[in-house]
Amino acid sequence: MNTSFTEEQEMLRKAAGDFLATECPKTKVRELEESDKGYDSGMWKKMADLGWMGLVIPEEYDGMGMTFQDLTIVLEEMGRNILPGPFFCTVVEGALPILDAGSERQKREFLPKIAKGDVIWTMALLEKSGLYNPSGVAARAVPRADSFVIHGTKLFVEMAQVADYLICAARTREGASPAEGITLFMLDAKAPGIHCGIMPTMGMDKLCEVQLDDVTVPGMNILGELDNGWPVIQRILERAAIAKCAESIGGIQACVDITAAYCKERVQYDRPIGAFQALQHMLADMWIAMQTSKYLVYEVAWMESENLPCAKEVAIAKAYVNDNYKEVSRKAVRLHGGIGTSRDHDIPLYYRRAKVADIAFGGSDFQREAVATKIGLIS
Amino acid sequence: MDFKLTDEQIARRNEHFAVCKELEKQRPVGFAAGGLESIYDTDEGWQYHLHCAKEFAKRGWLSHHWPREYGGEDGSMMDQVFFSEARGYYGVPGADIFGYSMLAPTLLAAGNKCVKEKFLPGIASGDTMGCQLWSEPNAGSDLASLTSTAIRRGDEYVINGQKTWSTGAHRADWGFGVFKTDLSAPKHHNLSFLLLDMKTPGITVNPILYMDMGHLYNEVYFDDVHVPAENIVGEEGKGWQVTQTLSGFERSSLEFVMVLQQQLEALVKYCNETRVNGEPLAKNLLIRNRLAGIACDVEATRCLAYRVADLQDKNQFSIFDASAVKVFVSELGERMAFLAADILGPYAQVKSSKWAPLEGFGEKGYQQCFVLTIAMGTNEIQRNIISWYGLGLPRMK
Repeated sequence: MNTSFTEEQEMLRKAAGDFLATECPKTKVRELEESDKGYDSGMWKKMADLGWMGLVIPEEYDGMGMTFQDLTIVLEEMGRNILPGPFFCTVVEGALPILDAGSERQKREFLPKIAKGDVIWTMALLEKSGLYNPSGVAARAVPRADSFVIHGTKLFVEMAQVADYLICAARTREGASPAEGITLFMLDAKAPGIHCGIMPTMGMDKLCEVQLDDVTVPGMNILGELDNGWPVIQRILERAAIAKCAESIGGIQACVDITAAYCKERVQYDRPIGAFQALQHMLADMWIAMQTSKYLVYEVAWMESENLPCAKEVAIAKAYVNDNYKEVSRKAVRLHGGIGTSRDHDIPLYYRRAKVADIAFGGSDFQREAVATKIGLIS
Repeated sequence: MDFKLTDEQIARRNEHFAVCKELEKQRPVGFAAGGLESIYDTDEGWQYHLHCAKEFAKRGWLSHHWPREYGGEDGSMMDQVFFSEARGYYGVPGADIFGYSMLAPTLLAAGNKCVKEKFLPGIASGDTMGCQLWSEPNAGSDLASLTSTAIRRGDEYVINGQKTWSTGAHRADWGFGVFKTDLSAPKHHNLSFLLLDMKTPGITVNPILYMDMGHLYNEVYFDDVHVPAENIVGEEGKGWQVTQTLSGFERSSLEFVMVLQQQLEALVKYCNETRVNGEPLAKNLLIRNRLAGIACDVEATRCLAYRVADLQDKNQFSIFDASAVKVFVSELGERMAFLAADILGPYAQVKSSKWAPLEGFGEKGYQQCFVLTIAMGTNEIQRNIISWYGLGLPRMK
């Protein structure tokens, strides 16, 4: 056991942190929140040059061949600094599923472009029910010649307004259970019949409504097996949950750092407010929440990296970090007082994202129900 | 970063678990795992504690991590972790919290040759058990304001005063405590750390019954108690520093993490086997949600406790890391006890008897869950430590 990161990993963390601090100050974050595009092409290009999009893509597909654990280090820095844009959806919801379930031809076709930063990917899973389970997939894909025609409405699709490709879940057959008969398709986002609109969301992170009006997709663009897409989705959700947790622990760290610094410099009653125990104990609880969250996520990221079964640990980490990011950022707003509620302050950027991160890939009650079964409660 | 155990570590962990599993079978009925009360309250519990200590001692586990010159094997921190986990999971006593957990590492770090040779062998063999003579009626969290005195007279100290909340003092062979040895020096520079035989004339031990009638705490009176001067740990007047060294050793919490893990498993089993209105409790969505929530907390504290153990192993350990685990695990213990008492319904109030599920865990947990939150530096003091040393916030004068 070694609960410290390697020297190379610490270098990667520092490089990512330094880059983001320079390239993506909070003024930029707010500017991107208010734009429709939602990301900065110049920054995207530089990130590609650093190899970030190809971090976990094997060298044979022009990537850097690093581990999932390494990726979570970069994601933690992205969460700490806040990086708006399509990195998460392109890598975690695009590259990883292709690596996992794609055919050799599909890998050769798509992965090198992702590694170069030439394309943006995202996943279109959720629909009106908002559920991350198989019954939530209602969109239909009907075979026609050697293609399929998809019809339905996808919601909360991240960065779809700028995406080049969508990984889309649709029902190809009515099965005995909702998990049967789901298929994943890789859609060209510019294909006829796709209509995309940005949903006005709290995170201002470009979650989109995507209308699929009889969109034709070639059969060779099925990702994984026909009718058997749910296990692939489960795998995507599992890793995406860990990746989201990695971002969140970065956000928690930022809340603790920013708030502790503020409490040391803000003077009331002739002393820094951080000298008052009422505030010290809130900060101590934030610090404990940060530490527990971090090592929970580090452990599960390691398990995933080692291909150890970790469905229980993923659900535990997601439920725990969901609640703690919200709680820590809520306390951060409180400890700042009025200024902590203002549009121009950094803390609310984290507070809003805490709820967005909670919702993504399953909220706390959803995760706890999974945990309940995994700890052996009969259902 | 990896959380992998080597094959050799897994084997050693399994060995510790196997031994404790056997010892668990000899546990007296109603012995509450994880708490201290069952060890000190009844003769039966105390005999079980001594028996387990002997079983551990004969395997060298009470001194495994000590240097060879004091009979240890230079064992690693991880072996201590496995030992703690196994004891916690099976609710087995036998590792004296005062001798094995607190005093031994303190003596190895700060004791002179004489006290080491005098006190370490009895700890390693499980023959002698200790107690802590720390708090006083008017010195709790503010320990340094204590007033009991130990005045040097020739080659002895003569102790007068009163200590309180002394767990197990009525069972202990010897005690360690801090006393004022210099009546004129300022606070924090006037104390000395002394070891003493609890049978010394002039010592009176009176019980302070716990709310459930259990006898674990005592008040201890000193009336001209003569203690050999060689029983001092560290230098005269530098007892405060020794207390700080010791407090770093009293907060390793993996044993308690595993107590909680076991309690969780027991509750899951109870909910699977208990039917209410024809349905197993396990299918109740509210119970599922609450048990899952607490399972998340157990896993979180386990990961952080491993981190702290790893830091201790690497000598990179900071006091506030241990404080974080102590606060979290002890408050989780309170939440676990409350949850169990909710799940057990009316039976939560029944003491160990035919009507008490889980050997009376409901009432025991509800009453005994304060021991860890208050002892060893209250959680409020731990939060101060975290905010001062972990976050660098200013101390209010």
